[in-house]
Amino acid sequence: MGPFMRSDNKTDKMMHTLIIALIPIVLFSEYKNGIIPYMENKTDIIGLCYPLIVVILGMLTTYLTELIVTKITKQKSYYSYIPGLFIALVLPLNTPIEIFLLACVLGIIVGKMLYGGFGNNIFNPALIGCLFVLTAYSSIITSNGGYLNSYEVDAISHATPLSNISSTIGSYDTLVKPYGNLWNFFLGFIPGAPGETCSLLCLIGLIYLVKKEVIKVKIPLTYISTVFILTLIIGLMNGLGIWYPCFQVLSGGLLFGSIFMATDPVTSPVTGFGQILYGLCLGILTVTFRYLTPYPEGVLTSILIMNMLVFILDKIGVRNSNYNKKKIISLLVIFISMIGIIFAINNSFKKNNDENFNIISKTTKNNVTTYIATQKSFRGPIKAEIKIKKNKVISYEVLESSDEYINKVINMNYLDDLMVDPNVDTISGATRSSTALKQLIINVMKDSGIYEE
Amino acid sequence: MKQILKIVKSDNPIFVLMLGLCSSLAVTTKVENAFLMGLCVIIVLLFSEIIASIIKKLVPDNVKIPVYIVIIGTFVTILEIILDKYIHSLYEALSIYLPLIVVNCIVLGRVLSVASKSNLKTSIKDSLGIGLGYTISLLAISLVREIIGSNSITLIDSLSEITGFKLVVNVFPKNNLIPMSFVSSPAGAFIILGILMALFKKVGTKNESN
Repeated sequence: MGPFMRSDNKTDKMMHTLIIALIPIVLFSEYKNGIIPYMENKTDIIGLCYPLIVVILGMLTTYLTELIVTKITKQKSYYSYIPGLFIALVLPLNTPIEIFLLACVLGIIVGKMLYGGFGNNIFNPALIGCLFVLTAYSSIITSNGGYLNSYEVDAISHATPLSNISSTIGSYDTLVKPYGNLWNFFLGFIPGAPGETCSLLCLIGLIYLVKKEVIKVKIPLTYISTVFILTLIIGLMNGLGIWYPCFQVLSGGLLFGSIFMATDPVTSPVTGFGQILYGLCLGILTVTFRYLTPYPEGVLTSILIMNMLVFILDKIGVRNSNYNKKKIISLLVIFISMIGIIFAINNSFKKNNDENFNIISKTTKNNVTTYIATQKSFRGPIKAEIKIKKNKVISYEVLESSDEYINKVINMNYLDDLMVDPNVDTISGATRSSTALKQLIINVMKDSGIYEE
Repeated sequence: MKQILKIVKSDNPIFVLMLGLCSSLAVTTKVENAFLMGLCVIIVLLFSEIIASIIKKLVPDNVKIPVYIVIIGTFVTILEIILDKYIHSLYEALSIYLPLIVVNCIVLGRVLSVASKSNLKTSIKDSLGIGLGYTISLLAISLVREIIGSNSITLIDSLSEITGFKLVVNVFPKNNLIPMSFVSSPAGAFIILGILMALFKKVGTKNESN
């Protein structure tokens, strides 16, 4: 423990308060992912208790793992059930149980014990476990159902809200409408990891933690407001209203991550100014990950990246003769990078349609025009042959693609409606591969003069 | 023989000297590739050290490195041409890492630090020890990586041009955890390398204290 902790009692109090703040979130997850599907007859009695079972199993696994490791290394075990609780709340509900247990074991061993146990770890142990599993087994988790509980699979048939932002900025109809309205985002009735959907309970937890004075409140406040302001500017530049930043803040794990993960007592800065810098950098990184990478969610990765820089941020935040100079320089750097990122994101929307599309050949025979064209998607170019007869697309065939999902898209006949009327938005919320294929066909239609925006 | 084994343990190029890590991470996706890469390095190292220690009195100090690189390059090129002609699939599997043996720091390092200063016998022992150590390390890394990363052990695949049959063993029955594609990636290779290095140190110090 660092010198800022005066006694063990304070740490004890802190951890107990944290658990109390998390209990409502666990209960809500049980209600949303267990009770509602059971009432709708979508699941059996195991499914009813499953969210609670996962939480208890996670806590038990991390506790036992740390117990075994500390027996071998002759250390003392501290609060080892908390990472398991976090892992249960952050990983998708449908994670296969053995993968979930692997995340718990790896989080404790790699994230905590290899660094020397509680108080010495650089990274948040729970996030290490989650990140490993989400990168190594993402395809298995997705094919197992991903974030959707058994009720949502039938009712919504969409991915999580944030995955709808891909190459375009989106609109109210594509981003919020499929899930009702913003109140659903606030109350938590949207698909997502068990812990992160209910924004209301996260905020109540924040207020409770502030009242008990056990949280570094500067971090969540700066983090959330940075994301809010950046997305507000991006939204305004693209003509979207105040709902857009609200959507960005309420969806994904932003509130949960900023309140419970980023404020982890061991892996966050101790100096006041360091905490503000930490929050600002987290906000910038999260917005960057959400828009400029193929991954929809960036909170987890941002927190792990900033965990590495805590030492530097604390050095900047220490009050000494150079304090003001360092303060001004670091704020200036952050301000400039914010502006740069806003412009980078804005440009990524503009050039999207034109530069990625390329016509290789165009031949006309018996009134049938055959295009061979390529379109860049996130997983490499898609090459397709499209035939147009009398101002109508009569067939399309994918010739080359490095994308394993493309066959799934073709099998689902997504594009049949599109051929008849290109204005129909048949595939909102579909995967990125299908978006690229759709964009390719629309670009071909534009070229042949069928489709005008 | 005892001296060679001592070199394998105390001067292991991967786990102790940490030389030639780049190629060791790249070729260890399959056990077979690792084994053959190790064999190639042993051959090049052996001949280079023999030649270097024979001509050590003829080479002036200030042109040492160019001369030794030419020697190593010659043997690598010979090996490359032979592999291209007779085991083409292996030549493709090792791809760029085969010609890059020229600049592999194990070969140049041992030629400079050992062969250019000692007699023929020591040089041969050293080259065999280092080459064996390299091969064993590669085999260890690739065994862990292939079992966890692809759920198989490839013993004969590229070599089937010569032997006429393939030998690929599947280890685990179908499950969710394995294959773990992360381990086949370079980042996973680094983690496996680190874990094995720690184990090697632990076992090594235990033997010494006993």
